[in-house]
Amino acid sequence: MLEPVALKDFFITFFSSALVILAGASYALLYAWSHLSQKRTYRLLSYLAYAVLVIAVVVLSRAANFSGYWLLISVAMLVGYFFAPIGIWHLCIKTHPSEQAPADR
Amino acid sequence: MSTEGSEAVIQHTSGWLDKARTQWQNFNTWLELDSSHLSPGRQLSVKYFTVAVILFFAQILFGLLAATQFLAPGFLYEILDFSVNRMVHINAMVVWMLYGFIGCVYWLLEEESGTEIVGLKLGNIAFWVLTSAVTLVVLVYLLVQIGPGKDSSLWLINEGREYIEAPRWADIGIVVVILIFFYNVVATFSKGKWSGIAGVLTLDLIALAGLYVAGMFYMTNITHDQYWWWWVIHLWVEATWEVLVGVIMAWSLMKLLGVKRKIVEIWLYIEVALMFGSGILGLGHHYFWIGTPEYWLTIGGFFSALEPIPLVAMVVHALYDAGTHSFKNSNHPAVAWIIAQAFGNFFGAGVWGFMHTLPQINLYTHGTQWSASHGHLAFFGAYATINIAFFYLAIQHWRGNVWMGGGMVNNWRWKWALGLLNAGVLGMTIALLIAGYEQSFIERAVGGSTWGGYFDAQNHPAFVSAMAWRLFFGLVTAAGFVLLVWDLMTIGKTETRKAQVIE
Repeated sequence: MLEPVALKDFFITFFSSALVILAGASYALLYAWSHLSQKRTYRLLSYLAYAVLVIAVVVLSRAANFSGYWLLISVAMLVGYFFAPIGIWHLCIKTHPSEQAPADR
Repeated sequence: MSTEGSEAVIQHTSGWLDKARTQWQNFNTWLELDSSHLSPGRQLSVKYFTVAVILFFAQILFGLLAATQFLAPGFLYEILDFSVNRMVHINAMVVWMLYGFIGCVYWLLEEESGTEIVGLKLGNIAFWVLTSAVTLVVLVYLLVQIGPGKDSSLWLINEGREYIEAPRWADIGIVVVILIFFYNVVATFSKGKWSGIAGVLTLDLIALAGLYVAGMFYMTNITHDQYWWWWVIHLWVEATWEVLVGVIMAWSLMKLLGVKRKIVEIWLYIEVALMFGSGILGLGHHYFWIGTPEYWLTIGGFFSALEPIPLVAMVVHALYDAGTHSFKNSNHPAVAWIIAQAFGNFFGAGVWGFMHTLPQINLYTHGTQWSASHGHLAFFGAYATINIAFFYLAIQHWRGNVWMGGGMVNNWRWKWALGLLNAGVLGMTIALLIAGYEQSFIERAVGGSTWGGYFDAQNHPAFVSAMAWRLFFGLVTAAGFVLLVWDLMTIGKTETRKAQVIE
């Protein structure tokens, strides 16, 4: 069953949706950068970005009235955006055999 | 008219033609472009690029006229109505993207296949047929505009389907031209050598030509009709065009940054898989409110949430390549536009798309200026940018593969053109976002999608001022375009150094 977003939640819906994608990309970029630069700070920042993503997903799920099977989308976003950057990173390593970053040689 | 009168007219006309010819020759001399630097295939490619730039100008011009009509509805009323300006604005965009893509493919075809283009003569004929047809269609749009509700109007004036309004004869012509293009691509690779890039390109062109046919038949039920219409609009753009850009990008990364073939091809396969995995069923977000079954709400919502993942993957991969290649490249303006593509695609398609794509909010936002906001940034970010990158690549070789790295004369021009065009489009996107937010709030949520709600929203100060800002940023975009054209005509003119070789 679909329950539309309430009038008062319009802004929070747009904002949290955008934040999901931006935090997801920030997490992916910081994760990759932490490997390239071998700095722990970037790794911590990447997890911070993921924490922002979790909050954004929770806020979006509430604002968009996700319930029942709609919550699967929230789970898919949390799981997908957590593992996708790790998977993408490993694909980068595997596909660049002669050009590996210092941290992964 | 007397014989003397006729002779005077002929003399006058021939004098005018001579003058025009002389001016054209002077212009060509001033350009100092030497086509002998280009292979015959690439000479065909730059013809496509040239028309693409002219159509890009038409897109901006008619966009500015339509934007002005939002503020002054009486402007050009019954001469060039908003409906006509909007149609030409969008059609010009679609067609200049296609011209750009075809030009890009012809540009890479000979080098990638290792042989000359098989049907070059046919390709040249197809170019002139397509260009004549496009000119005629635009003239009919502008001068005839509408016809009676008969089949003859559908065949000769306007097919009536939004975004693909070209009359039926032109539709058939487009398919024929695309088939010639397809033949040239397949026959050339068959004669020369196949590669991963060639395979993906060939399969994508089959889908590109095939999906267009879905917009060429009518059904009496509007839901059924819209169902198929979206196959052209969504699947063309979010599947076949994205893959085409992936192919062009893969090839240009090899040439500009020196990335290894094996790497770009593997990534091309990964991105195509991710793109098709999320993009095809992402089509569902267009089926929310057209009368299709309810399961499309769930399918559309779920796959729309996944659609940004390939875009994130591209950003990470770009970072990896940047890290390993330290951004050493042979053409600074082209690489700058490719970077603009990575970000523009991510923000325009990913962020702006997901912000309003879940059905719970899309109920209020679909068909408002929200869609226009998303469309402006996504089309420019994903597609215009890669074409502009190729314009710079083409001009570099047209001038004899000259240096286009640091320390170029008048370096500021391409940087300012890049800045103005991107700032202009981003500014329009933000202005339309505000207008769309106001519209979905007042017209849809408060006004309940009634005519009263519509007019309340259209006359609201927030909407009106957002539209004024949209026009302002449209003018910024136009200024960027003028500078871009000036730069393309002059860049590398006095350069004597050869392009940097990238290993």
